Amino acid sequence: MDADRIVALVTAGGIELTDRRRNASNDGWSLSFANGATVEVGDDGSARIGGKGAKAVARLLDPPAAPRNA
Amino acid sequence: MKRSCGLALISSTLALCAAAPVSASAAQPGDPPDGISKIETVVVIFAENRAFDNLYGHFPGAEGIDKASPESLQQRDRDGSVLSELPPVWDGLTAKGVTPPVTQAMTEHLPNAPFTVNDAKGFNVPLNVITHDLWHRYYQNQMQINGGKNDMFVAWGDSGAMPMSNWDTSKGDMWAVAQKYVLADHFFMGGFGGSFFNHQWLICACAPYYADADKNPAKPSIAVTDASGTALKVADNSPKSARDGIPKFVSDGNLTPDFYAVNTMQPPYQPSGNDPAPGGDPRLADPGKPTTLPPQTEPTIGDMLSLKHVSWAWYSGAWQYTLEHGNHTPIPNFQYHHQPFNYYANFAPGTEARHEHLRDAGLGGVSFIQAIDDGVLPQVSFYKPQGNLNEHSGYADIQAGDHHIADVVAHLEKSPQWPHMLVVVTYDENGGIWDHVAPPKGDRWGPGTRIPAIIISPFAKHGYVDHTPYDTTSILRFITERFELPVLHGIVVRDKAVAAHGEPPLGDLTGGLDLN
Repeated sequence: MDADRIVALVTAGGIELTDRRRNASNDGWSLSFANGATVEVGDDGSARIGGKGAKAVARLLDPPAAPRNA
Repeated sequence: MKRSCGLALISSTLALCAAAPVSASAAQPGDPPDGISKIETVVVIFAENRAFDNLYGHFPGAEGIDKASPESLQQRDRDGSVLSELPPVWDGLTAKGVTPPVTQAMTEHLPNAPFTVNDAKGFNVPLNVITHDLWHRYYQNQMQINGGKNDMFVAWGDSGAMPMSNWDTSKGDMWAVAQKYVLADHFFMGGFGGSFFNHQWLICACAPYYADADKNPAKPSIAVTDASGTALKVADNSPKSARDGIPKFVSDGNLTPDFYAVNTMQPPYQPSGNDPAPGGDPRLADPGKPTTLPPQTEPTIGDMLSLKHVSWAWYSGAWQYTLEHGNHTPIPNFQYHHQPFNYYANFAPGTEARHEHLRDAGLGGVSFIQAIDDGVLPQVSFYKPQGNLNEHSGYADIQAGDHHIADVVAHLEKSPQWPHMLVVVTYDENGGIWDHVAPPKGDRWGPGTRIPAIIISPFAKHGYVDHTPYDTTSILRFITERFELPVLHGIVVRDKAVAAHGEPPLGDLTGGLDLN
């Protein structure tokens, strides 16, 4: 799942994107959302969800089905 | 519009007051409206993300969809041509998990026109179903309004046809309240864009500021605009047509190029979406996170009320629950960026002002309702329903919020304080949803799209549709005049800008009242 797809699915659920930037290692995107969730999206399609709102974001993303580092 | 000038902070206003001849027998320009002191208790209920036409587009006597010109009903593509049909609702009209869903495929080939979501002959989605959220952002809102033509809501949205959706709410509880009292049909959101910004406009009439944003982690959140300064710069790889997908921008950030925060940032204090810094004060959000807004210092309406020793409070649903237990979805789904005073240094943790004025409304508003029933509301109350009761697309449905707010109003009507009460029920912003009426031309920050507002009071003109132009700052105008407060700078700027454009002045809500 790429960053655009994740943003589309999460924002459709009423959780606004608050920050999007390339990560420090320049191999993916760091996304932040209004509920406090963060998603690290690799250019290889991997995704790690964290932050306060991780569970709510995980429910909107399928896959991944559950937070991996919440 | 009349304006209090007793303690006005702005020198030009002071000069006007000094120059005005004084008469004991006749009202003068600048005097509060006659009878305004009959209102002793003001209650503002702030729901979420609905345009006027979305809920009240067919309200009798109002300027609704039925009165829109054919041109204003049609949406244009990104090249300015009229769309032959609406694009589908990307990823479907209903929220994830809704059964049966209204899928993207089911929304193909909609005519280029508004559509009613709960139309029995159409999608037949009831009011208790959560639907797809839409972009509701500062620059996109201006691009969608398109100079007042309101014909680019689909083109510059992220949800295909969804901005053209509306609901038949004529069986709703608040529709009945609007019929009983006053529906304002020219009430506009104070600022362009989303909830964060419009909550700031409700309490401050100002744009938050992030000093030196280009020298800290927030730098990538600085938006890139085109030459107009009011629209985002479109990326080279953006789909050319709205039928081909969601637009892409070079940088769709939270900050303007001159560092004003116009899209969602997190509060610097808990409860915040951002955790405390490791080893830091647990009452604060990590200031090193790029989405943490530094504490704000502009004067707010709260400061003005406190200055004049007027009692007031911001009641927030699930505030204490979230502080003690963390947030949970789908209930209460507390929204951090809907708590505007939590961005201000004057209300930082540990201050007496925070303890006194930022109050827990309880889960489902029970503590607020108890205060209503006991007749102990302060002179000015703001009530923010918790997330699942606020009517926001994507995570809340209309019916739950409609029932809840109507229940609160029913309690207010029975309160010991009711005989001298003014209640305003409105929405923070349009939620990215189309409305056909052009907003008044104002200043850099707004007004934005038209939203519903209901004026409720024993002094309301019962069964009345008020066509007076208002915006969110009209609530502040009323409070300012009633309690003879210093005028917030943003209101002065807004009034001058509206006048400079030759627009009629924005009202103070008294157009919906009979105070004599």
